[in-house]
Amino acid sequence: MKPLLPILLAFLTAAALPGRAMAADAAADFGAANKLYAQGKFTEAGALYRKMIQSGAISPALYFNYGNAEFKSGHLGSAIAAYRRAAQLAPRDAEVRANLEFARNQVQGPALRERRWEAWLGTFSLNEWTALAAAAFWLLFGWFAAMQIRPTLKRARRSVTPGMVIVIALLFTGLGLDALIHFNKPVAVIVVPEATARSGPFDDAQNTFTVRDGAELAVLDRRNDWLEVTDGSGRIGWLPGQQAEVLPGS
Amino acid sequence: MMFWLKRSFRYGLALFFAGGCLGTLPLAAATFTASLDRDTVAVGETATLSLTFEGGQPRNVPAPEVPGLQIASTGNSQNFSIINGQMSSTVTVTFSVTPTRTGEFVIPALTADINGQSLTSQPLKLTVTRPNAPSAAEVNSGSQIAFMKLTLPGKEVYENQIVPARLDVYLRDDVQNLSAFQFTSTPAEGFTVGKMVQSSRQQVQIGNRVYTDIPLSFTLTADRTGPVSVGPFTAGAVIVVPSANPQRDFLGFFGGGEQRQVTLASDSVTAQSLPLPTENRPANFNGAIGNYTLTFTAGPTNVAVGDPVTAHIQISGRGTIETLALPGQADWHDFKAYPPTFHVETSDALGLQGTKIFEQIVTPQSTDVHELPPFSFSFFDPDARAYRTLTQPAIPLAVHSGGTTPAPMVAATRPADNRNPAPQDILPIKDQPGLVTPPGPPLVTRPVFLAAQGLPVLAWLAALVWRKRTDRLANNPRLRRRRQVARLVQDGLNELRRLAAEDKPDDFFATLFRLLQEQLGERLDCPASSITEAVIDERLAGLGAPEKLLAGLRELFQLCNQARYAPLRGSSELAAVIPQFENVLRELQNVNT
Repeated sequence: MKPLLPILLAFLTAAALPGRAMAADAAADFGAANKLYAQGKFTEAGALYRKMIQSGAISPALYFNYGNAEFKSGHLGSAIAAYRRAAQLAPRDAEVRANLEFARNQVQGPALRERRWEAWLGTFSLNEWTALAAAAFWLLFGWFAAMQIRPTLKRARRSVTPGMVIVIALLFTGLGLDALIHFNKPVAVIVVPEATARSGPFDDAQNTFTVRDGAELAVLDRRNDWLEVTDGSGRIGWLPGQQAEVLPGS
Repeated sequence: MMFWLKRSFRYGLALFFAGGCLGTLPLAAATFTASLDRDTVAVGETATLSLTFEGGQPRNVPAPEVPGLQIASTGNSQNFSIINGQMSSTVTVTFSVTPTRTGEFVIPALTADINGQSLTSQPLKLTVTRPNAPSAAEVNSGSQIAFMKLTLPGKEVYENQIVPARLDVYLRDDVQNLSAFQFTSTPAEGFTVGKMVQSSRQQVQIGNRVYTDIPLSFTLTADRTGPVSVGPFTAGAVIVVPSANPQRDFLGFFGGGEQRQVTLASDSVTAQSLPLPTENRPANFNGAIGNYTLTFTAGPTNVAVGDPVTAHIQISGRGTIETLALPGQADWHDFKAYPPTFHVETSDALGLQGTKIFEQIVTPQSTDVHELPPFSFSFFDPDARAYRTLTQPAIPLAVHSGGTTPAPMVAATRPADNRNPAPQDILPIKDQPGLVTPPGPPLVTRPVFLAAQGLPVLAWLAALVWRKRTDRLANNPRLRRRRQVARLVQDGLNELRRLAAEDKPDDFFATLFRLLQEQLGERLDCPASSITEAVIDERLAGLGAPEKLLAGLRELFQLCNQARYAPLRGSSELAAVIPQFENVLRELQNVNT
């Protein structure tokens, strides 16, 4: 048994090293990008933040700063997309919410507003909903198992079990709805100065409406490289995919 | 039932013979042709493309694709004919062809596979013309059954200004009904066309005829400067007019009228889109165009530092309502502001008139604050062609310390002049990257995570099984005793081996006797202390135990008895008793009690 301990420790150290190395690299790059931002070199800062994200390191602060750099560079749509990604990771971060709202207020044209229950669901990220529901599930079955092991606990069954079942039902409903929005209601954020929606997924189709940089549109369908979208006022049209960044719905 | 069976049989027989005859008839050579029902259409009209396959079934029906033409399949039909003993079949597939712009179009040659033959159709030419609205003379003459007219409120608009436009659909007084009205094109250059609403119909006199006017209102937003235009709008509809031959409908099935498909087209209307003036543009102007009023209230007004004060800002008027944004207030630097919430109440169907009500929560940051500074809102008034600024006075506040300490981290990590998120700029960047993780799919889609959710269920099932077994044992004394005796015998055998090895015959046979008593007591369901050699014949024999077992037991009992009188035995002799005892135990456990 004893020889196993050093092997296990060595394995755990080796497994932790890449994570530590990534965190150290990320901190260094993050500091460098912040410095560029402070010097007013927003485009360069944005490029460095983007490089970090593309290299596989993400955090709410990284998306937040990237959004700031894009906003300062005049790329309203990219900024809103970055803020939305930051909000998906840290849904209760007041600064992220404030900058997202500020950027949205700069967008011209009808806004796609989430409904009240969608906003309420957005209080937690999808992973948080998942963790909460899983924890409640474990607690419920842990309680069931405890009642089998200690039958005296069954006296509290009537007072505890219904409450736990209600909580777990609510959490699973929240998880289900949030997952539904996340996977089935993607949002397209316009990342070009002006995009023209057309009546069909081809260049010759008739124009239906025009949206500006930063407009958030609900994605209804995808066909090849085209997105069928609808805006806040209910207009529907097709956009080339490269004119928008598509994000999960929640 | 019998009638139905007979009729089905007759039809089946007829089809069988017809199929057989057709199968024996010679087929004509296969051909493939494409045709259009007309070679010239206007934008908004639809032509019909027919692909005709004669002499066989096409293995594939080619789908034509032409940029500028929307081509959609509308159906197919099949005909068989026998002429002079030669059978021919014709399959016709039809497509609707709707142009999206004017020009000369060519539907290319199409290739289809019929009976293994690759056949090619001839290319077709289609001319698409601009739709024309009827002239004023035609309208005034009363010759137009239906027509459309597009109007704008003025010839000048400002960039990003929303203006109402109107499209009137006129129906002559002899039109009995209008149905299936559908726009086929609503082009706009430099305008974004908004939602359309219908108002109530009215009667108007045009020339010598009375027309029913169906007004449709919609919004236009100029999205660039320079010349902008909207139209011509085109639409298709089905109208019912008095029948030219009323005798055909003498029963009045069709209301005495006949249906006609009509294509309607309006003129195009142009305007000049002007840029908003840069002179005298207020600093806090954020794009609102229209004519508005402003009200501003806030409460509570007696608060502690850091307590929320809700500012209610109500902007009412005509113009941009839905997209109105709350302007930043430069003088509110002593407050921390949170993102505002809002709701919109419109009073007209187009949403051009109404109220947008904002609620902005602010928290005073020090006791030096004595008022919520004045709120101002600037907009461009297109009628006056000038910017206007509405300002509401400051609201006095009483701010006390309330025992709370202002959050020091904001002052420590943010420059003092950047604390307010509502004003003119975004909040500054974060200093630390926080917890950096690689991106990955959501937890709920990870198989390992999902599999882990089976663990609590398994734990519960294990606890449930354990509970059932424990309860069963508790409720069955014989089972409990059997298990206890089994454990006792197992331990006793080890004890016997040890005693044999240590050459302790007295202890060995005392243990052996006790084990025999325990095992027989368990089998016969009686106390172990009551077991003697006599029970072998009195009770065990009566249970049908084999004679070999009975003999073995007797021998073991006798050995135990002999040991009391002749205790001296060797270690090997004692060890030889153990297998004998084990054999007896095995057989004893098989006795059905």
